[in-house]
Amino acid sequence: MATPALLPPGVSAADFQQALKEFAGVVGADWVLTSEEDRHTYLDAFAPGDAATHACSAAVAPTTAEEVQAIVRIANRHRIPLWPVSTGRNLAYGGSAPVVRGSVVLDLKRMNRVLEVNNELGYALVEPGVNFFDLFEALQAKGGKLWISTPAPGWGSVIGNALEHGVGYTPYGVNANSICGMEVVLANGEVVRTGMGGVNPGGKEWQVFKYGYGPVWDLMFTQSNFGVVTKMGIWLLPEPEAVANFSITLPGMGDLAAMVDTLRPLRLDDTINAPYTIMNPYRAIMDPMSAQGKTRSTIYTKPGCMPLDFVEKTLQAQGVGMWSVGFNLFDSDKGLDLREARIREAFDKVPGAVIKTMRWHRGEPLAGWMRVSPVLFPLAGVDWYGGPGGHINYAPVVAPIGSRITDIYESIYKRYVEYGFDCYCGFLNIGPRAIVVNPCTFFNREDAEMTRRARELARVLYKDGAAQGFGDYRAHISFMDDVADMYGFNNHAARRLGERVKDALDPNGILAPGKQGLWGTAARARRGKPA
Amino acid sequence: MGHRGAGAQGEAGMKTTTVLLAAAVVAVASAAVTAADAPLTARQQRGEKVFDVKCLPCHGPGMWGTNALARRMPRDRAELARRTDLNAVMVKTLMRTGIGSMPPIRKTEVTDADADAIADYLTRNSKP
Repeated sequence: MATPALLPPGVSAADFQQALKEFAGVVGADWVLTSEEDRHTYLDAFAPGDAATHACSAAVAPTTAEEVQAIVRIANRHRIPLWPVSTGRNLAYGGSAPVVRGSVVLDLKRMNRVLEVNNELGYALVEPGVNFFDLFEALQAKGGKLWISTPAPGWGSVIGNALEHGVGYTPYGVNANSICGMEVVLANGEVVRTGMGGVNPGGKEWQVFKYGYGPVWDLMFTQSNFGVVTKMGIWLLPEPEAVANFSITLPGMGDLAAMVDTLRPLRLDDTINAPYTIMNPYRAIMDPMSAQGKTRSTIYTKPGCMPLDFVEKTLQAQGVGMWSVGFNLFDSDKGLDLREARIREAFDKVPGAVIKTMRWHRGEPLAGWMRVSPVLFPLAGVDWYGGPGGHINYAPVVAPIGSRITDIYESIYKRYVEYGFDCYCGFLNIGPRAIVVNPCTFFNREDAEMTRRARELARVLYKDGAAQGFGDYRAHISFMDDVADMYGFNNHAARRLGERVKDALDPNGILAPGKQGLWGTAARARRGKPA
Repeated sequence: MGHRGAGAQGEAGMKTTTVLLAAAVVAVASAAVTAADAPLTARQQRGEKVFDVKCLPCHGPGMWGTNALARRMPRDRAELARRTDLNAVMVKTLMRTGIGSMPPIRKTEVTDADADAIADYLTRNSKP
């Protein structure tokens, strides 16, 4: 094996060579990837800055939980930080790149088996390398009786998405809510099965009841670095009789509060039984253009945020209202009629509301608007400024109260004008009582000045959000400490609790140091300076 | 691709390579020809199967990758599976380096053998 080009922090070349040799003994030399070409494939493809800041020293790619156990034990002996990725496709959050430069990526993509699809009970048991396309195919092969709750880009891992609190557009919504039973390799190499999977020998009801006996551990392994999830049960939606799509627009720039306040009771009483997404006027212009491969320069060439009057005129010319919301309802045809009547009754009271609907019935081919079959085209927006592009999302969680949503949106909009970016913003309803206000800063990666501005905008938004009483629910690897800083109550009591757990489970700090701002004692000196 | 050492300098070097290859793609594309599809070899069939799963979600008709290429060349040449002017080394290299907003594809996602099969499939109608 050639001399390593980059070493994990604090590890000698000789120790690293020895660790790589031992990894190769577990997975075979072909699956310990150290060449420059291979390491390049693990760089963050949408890096908001120099991707080399988060370069890995190597990757190791096991195919079984037993191999993961062996790798974790070797990493402990040699103090090698491991960065587990499932499919490594969480672009805009770091892709397959680690927080700490020089970490070894534990690439679980080859663990790609759908272990069980159970049509009778509505669940699947999967490995981390299974993406939404793979699971969709596996479900179709068994008659398409169960539906996935696919997020915007379908190449993400089913496990990874659930662990990162990702959201789909069926009634199952936040995918972490659908987790039932995990197999986890702990930092000491021990395997744990959660919930009913703990029954010995061979708990039969692992995927049907979450709570088992005693403390419930599943959510502890989400957005954390306490273990490597090697199997997960996920509940899936039985195919409904019918689906209705709603697209509702309101005409005026000042109609955001009316939109939010009209939707709230409908979502709270489950008339609207799946997440909705509100789009601001910028997004209403940009999404359809991006889907057709059109970039900003075809409509506007000046720098800065496109002015509101231009945005308003553009949408008026298209006959589109300033604020729009889209969502799907899942029910029988008769049930959908009742739901639709209540939605129409509510929006009839809002001046200028325009409602468009479509329906699908069981037996018809799946349509794109149903968002049941995975796609990738939402990523096209990254080329808004011409590309090669990337994007950074600000994602504070805010209650669906019209005045509150409007206040934070206006403060975000001012920052986008100040920093000179088009204020593309969605409002993703992640449950009856919460919206992720989700502006997205697109930037050209090869434009250093624009990339720097995008980074600075993200950091100022995190500070604004915390001062206003809001916190983000996810973060790119470059901003994990920044977002952790939003949660500073009682001198960061929550983070200190997390780090006590980290120290107990992973005293050498080998699993994903810095993930979600959790470093542990072994790596704490690197907080705030992951490179 | 030669070993160029670690860190930012090595990765900057990689970027230059990508840009040069991108220029080559455009240059070669300007000499596209049409050819009738011959029956696929076993390896090309494998390549088609993997391409359809791994690449088509972006490189199918009207998809992101196709639209991005259509900004640089006539739309009828933007769909990779219909091209007659691709080079196998270039196809495989761009899969590993990424290009434009397309991220690099790792060996754990598409093995070297499958990358070769995809390249063979995409170049089946290309003149040597």
